[in-house]
Amino acid sequence: MGNSKNKHFVIDNRIEELSALAEKIDDLAKKWELSQALAMNINLVIEEAVSNIIFYAFADTDKHEIRILISLENSSLTIKITDDGILFNPLEQKQPEINLPAEERPVGGLGIFLISQIMDKMHYSRQKNQNILTLNKSIS
Amino acid sequence: MNIKKEKIGNFTVLKIKGRIDTIHSSALELEVNQQFDSGEKNLIFNCSGMDYISSSGLRIFLVAQKKAKAINGKLFLCDMQPAIQEIFRISGFSNLFRIFDTQEEALENQ
Repeated sequence: MGNSKNKHFVIDNRIEELSALAEKIDDLAKKWELSQALAMNINLVIEEAVSNIIFYAFADTDKHEIRILISLENSSLTIKITDDGILFNPLEQKQPEINLPAEERPVGGLGIFLISQIMDKMHYSRQKNQNILTLNKSIS
Repeated sequence: MNIKKEKIGNFTVLKIKGRIDTIHSSALELEVNQQFDSGEKNLIFNCSGMDYISSSGLRIFLVAQKKAKAINGKLFLCDMQPAIQEIFRISGFSNLFRIFDTQEEALENQ
């Protein structure tokens, strides 16, 4: 029989919320007995996705909720991030050229790329007015 | 995040402790800009206490390297934790910097 754990976080679309969220994710990683390196990667992936949403997804100044679900089933880690911002498919982002020298390397555009490198699978869907980004990684 | 500064030979060593994330990266950017503005050309980032970096932190290092190159300065990194080294590797940043195992090795390149 498998072993399944879930944890839900809901934050507002304010960048300051990321600090408290990072602490909560570190606590969760300890509770789930994940390595420190994996805890860092989970935090990194969530920071990149959520900061993109906070900076670019909302045309208004209203409060919006961003939902984050972290689940671990046996050795499969899934992170699902849901927001009600404008349609944005991160899988369609241009990949950065990572072999350029420093002088020619553009500043920025690395966030989504880091997610794609750290996680094994990325899936995006638009359902009603929501962006749903689902990320999966095998941690065995 | 906090940064300790020390002038050693031709270098200013910036010892970074804590997280370089979306929220804290601007403090590092400010410090780096102040170093270049005050005429420093050669920087060593001692990363032994840096336990987290995201793309906003990588951005600060890239901008610093561009500035250092433009003034023929030296910008070295040293003593990085393995998880941070991995982020530098997958982003292609390992090729943009000279990264030393220890601060002493970095300082030998005056």
